[in-house]
Amino acid sequence: MTVVGIIDYRAGNIRSIRNAFEHIGCETRLVTDAAELNGVSHVVLPGVGAFAFCMQRLSESGMLPALERWALVEHRPLLGICVGMQLMARRGLELGDHEGLNWMGGKVLPLVANGARVRVPHVGWNDVTFAEPFGAFTADSKADFYFDHSFAFFDPEFGETIGRCTHGQDFAAVVRRGNVVAAQFHPEKSQDAGIRFLEGFLAL
Amino acid sequence: MLKKRLIPKLLIQHRQIGSMTRPVLVTTRQFDQSFDVGDPVSQAKIYQAQMADELIVLNIDRTLIGSDKLLLGIIERLASETFMPLAVGGGVSSVEDFGRLLDHGADKVVINTVAAKNPDIIDAAASQFGAQCVVVSIDYRRDADGTPRVHTDRASRRTERSVVEWAHEAAQRGAGEIVLVDADRDGTGNGLDCALCAEVAYSLPIPVILSGGCGIASHFSDGFLDGGAEAISAGTFFAFRDQNPIQTRSHVRNSGIDIRMET
Repeated sequence: MTVVGIIDYRAGNIRSIRNAFEHIGCETRLVTDAAELNGVSHVVLPGVGAFAFCMQRLSESGMLPALERWALVEHRPLLGICVGMQLMARRGLELGDHEGLNWMGGKVLPLVANGARVRVPHVGWNDVTFAEPFGAFTADSKADFYFDHSFAFFDPEFGETIGRCTHGQDFAAVVRRGNVVAAQFHPEKSQDAGIRFLEGFLAL
Repeated sequence: MLKKRLIPKLLIQHRQIGSMTRPVLVTTRQFDQSFDVGDPVSQAKIYQAQMADELIVLNIDRTLIGSDKLLLGIIERLASETFMPLAVGGGVSSVEDFGRLLDHGADKVVINTVAAKNPDIIDAAASQFGAQCVVVSIDYRRDADGTPRVHTDRASRRTERSVVEWAHEAAQRGAGEIVLVDADRDGTGNGLDCALCAEVAYSLPIPVILSGGCGIASHFSDGFLDGGAEAISAGTFFAFRDQNPIQTRSHVRNSGIDIRMET
């Protein structure tokens, strides 16, 4: 039975994520405490706001040890979205230099604006090229997803970058380490392509 | 490559229908006359089917959106029945309102009069919710000598601020996007103000959304090519004309502009 547990640590746009999974036909549940992971099959780690703010909220939530066990020991499916992806880096350089979860290694650095050609924040629909198959997306396929961010994950070390995007620079749009998947874009806001992506995650 | 965006604008007013107050979708002409179009949620679903890239939803009554249960209910329904980004505003009065709107399903918050009166709200909201969440909308009209001046309160009150300077200040304070709305072109279909948009867009690193005056499909390509806009928002054009975002998209694409063609 597919039950999606969305980590509610007061730093994410939870409602939209929940709506998208319910549209697919899943049961969803907000998880505010490690005990509530009981009965959950897939975990989603959202994130909106500054890196340090999200990291602090997540630490304060007390759910971190359970999430690390879920993702890294039990290798169960977990999807990080936007800052929820960035937190998986070793370090984040938004408003200072902060330690991340280090599930994927690497750093989160600012995107660099370049006149009218490359504006920051990177807002809107951009194409992601898949290097590996994921759900309905085959290797080398492209699809447009909705992005809204000023910082990006450039060099994941432990995971594999299975989707790439370019905005001035090349950055990781989707990283995967076993059943842990993370996306810089917002699948819950990406219409049909986003729904297909979430279905790919649910197939894990 | 990042695509240019087409953003239908949903303007919402409260209407007394029998004994009930209902939020209805309207369009306006020069920010004055308004025309009822229908139900905001049904229209949003049509726009989603027509591949709109995003929606801007604005309360144009003088109610405070953060405590307006009817409007918050509409936002909640929009967020649960469509899967695209929602920028919401009109009657935002505090940083706390950002949290309320996001909790009800908005992805970004559009501020206008409140920012012009108290610019510190931009810094405060950006540091709490991130620059990507803060959209500063600037309504303006031109003086007799042609100088564009920032107007507040649904473009009814002229200020001394220059549009270009205010856009720069907003960006510096942490706005993630700027919306430029020429109130005198609103609803006329006479074309966008590409000249002012270019002046703002080419001097700022953040995206600029241009609005006010779309009447034919070529106005959109003009806005992208001549105005340097990252996105174009239109209310009347998409609501009333025999035009929709798919047809407009093809025209824009045929003008050599990179725009999303499939979902």
